[in-house]
Amino acid sequence: MGIDFTKLLKGYGKGWVAVSSDYKKVLGHAKTLDVLMKRVESKKGKQKVYYFPSGESYSNFVG
Amino acid sequence: MKYTYDYSLLPGSVTTLAPVIPVTFINGKYNFDTFALVDSGADSGLISTVIADALHIDWNKLKRETGYTTSGEFYYRTFKNLETEIEFNPFMIDINIVEGVAPFKCILGRNDLFLKAEITFRGFANQFDIEFRKFN
Repeated sequence: MGIDFTKLLKGYGKGWVAVSSDYKKVLGHAKTLDVLMKRVESKKGKQKVYYFPSGESYSNFVG
Repeated sequence: MKYTYDYSLLPGSVTTLAPVIPVTFINGKYNFDTFALVDSGADSGLISTVIADALHIDWNKLKRETGYTTSGEFYYRTFKNLETEIEFNPFMIDINIVEGVAPFKCILGRNDLFLKAEITFRGFANQFDIEFRKFN
């Protein structure tokens, strides 16, 4: 299975999450990306952190 | 080198399987790591204005253009030559910056990722392959 965002994003409301480099843990959440980045960037060191929106519905997306 | 990815599970009223990949954008000294939808139906890729802000792209100063979806119009601005990296494969793309885009805040399409790599969707196996072209 690829990344299980249903598990990863469960319980997080509208906003953004910071995801660990192994895609398995949420390291932080905030309502806005800039607030989240300010919190996470100073602590992450050399670790890669992925930012992804939370609280979105991806059902029936037509791109 | 060929990379095989499983489709990712995305939340919604119905759980959705979609081809999503980790991607890094670099604008000078600013990096942004996120996950992009690989969309063969998208003429060009896009990022939201929020991601453009994180990359310190002054998108408001770029020329505003009109784009079209199946349900109507949207406005976008094009940022040229954004350094992009997937699985340590660096390449440059022109990316569209769109306000209020949802649910995906980052999409890669035919005029960016698909020009750099051979991509095969295997929906029956919930997998897709990406093989980057070799440039001299």
